Amino acid sequence: MDHEELIEKYFAKSLNADEKSMFDQLMQTNDAFREQVVYEKEVQKAITMNERQALKKKLQSFETKKPKRNYTVWYAAASFAVMLGIGFWIFSNDVDTNAVYEEYYQSYPNVVAPTVRGENSTDIKSEAFYSYDSGDYTKALTLFSKLYDTEKEDYSLFYKSLSLMELKRYDEALTSFEQFDLQKNNGFTPYVKWYKALTLVKLEQEEKALVLLQELANSTNPMQKMAKELVVELE
Amino acid sequence: MVKQIVVVLALVKWKSKGKHRFEKIFLISFVYFLEIHPLMENAPKLTELLKAGNEKAIRTVYEEHRNGFLLFAKRYSLGDDEVLDIYQDVIIALCENARKGKLDDLQSSVSTYLFSIGKFMIYHRLKKLGKQVAVNDFEQVEMEYELYDEEEQNSKLTLVRNYFSQLGEQCKKVLTLFYYEEKKLDEIQELLGYTNKDVLKSQKSRCLKQLKDLINK
Repeated sequence: MDHEELIEKYFAKSLNADEKSMFDQLMQTNDAFREQVVYEKEVQKAITMNERQALKKKLQSFETKKPKRNYTVWYAAASFAVMLGIGFWIFSNDVDTNAVYEEYYQSYPNVVAPTVRGENSTDIKSEAFYSYDSGDYTKALTLFSKLYDTEKEDYSLFYKSLSLMELKRYDEALTSFEQFDLQKNNGFTPYVKWYKALTLVKLEQEEKALVLLQELANSTNPMQKMAKELVVELE
Repeated sequence: MVKQIVVVLALVKWKSKGKHRFEKIFLISFVYFLEIHPLMENAPKLTELLKAGNEKAIRTVYEEHRNGFLLFAKRYSLGDDEVLDIYQDVIIALCENARKGKLDDLQSSVSTYLFSIGKFMIYHRLKKLGKQVAVNDFEQVEMEYELYDEEEQNSKLTLVRNYFSQLGEQCKKVLTLFYYEEKKLDEIQELLGYTNKDVLKSQKSRCLKQLKDLINK
């Protein structure tokens, strides 16, 4: 195999073991070969950095271009919002709490078990998170409940409660949140308090929600700012 | 198919008696939701669009996960601007790996993949800034992705970067497919419609030589 082909395979990441050792050998002994590889690597780096820079500029423009939308779309969005509002007003008598809930509720991401490494593993935990990620909350609920029953770990209880919220089974979500020992104060605690408070808001138990939100607002934690805003809104 | 029919009907209606403002607005929103919404749900299609570098898809992914990511990153001692900067790097890595075909057999959802890149990026940023990192928080953090430092001031590299953009379109295409998308010559031959692999090979060597001459000028 000639040198050129060897270098090609190196960049296409398709060297087999023999070729690899031949490549390493040449890198150490043949100056012209090494120089060519170093040069091509430099080219690769340059192209990659150019591509990344171009995409970065585009993404940054997404941030600044946001308010400059076509007005027709805004009218459309606004009319939708108005109709939605009317819908809520007609179909429920607790406009306030519903609106607050909709405003503040956001699905919590899967931050526990990213499944890139060992992509083929099919243990319950990965499957539970996969279901959660793909929006199959019914299945996620079953699996997280099962996980919690067997290992009694906080994350499974947390995501079980979140799945219940996603399924709009708020009474059960509340029951599930109540199993947390909030004195324990680990990484989940602020988020548990936050989502529990939102569940309480949804169930029109604003006083209880306020107690939790005050705790969040008065200590340093990731949800402090949001909690402060919501406290003001509820009071 | 149903979707197309509905869109056509909507357009016909628009042409015929779309004089009323509300009606127009309603139709626009209708078409908008039909067009945009399926993008969010359909994982296989999404990775394909990202692979093709579709800007609308990139924007959809960018906006869909933005707030979730910012919320997630709040637990680390990083400023808001820093976090947004990291998030953009995450999207860049996602698009890059999609173009390299690494998402073709993705077993997890795009959002899970995105967050795992996020962890990787946050970990490296914290280390770079000399901040304390709780190791057990980043157990699974590792991925095949070359991190280049944009601040690196190396005169040779700057030259290569500048002169590369001055090359002809065909050279840029060939070299980008080969070095950036890491495609094999056979694939490139097919993509760019070369009838003979040797022609492509010599084209590539010529481009490399041309670039080198520009640098050593």
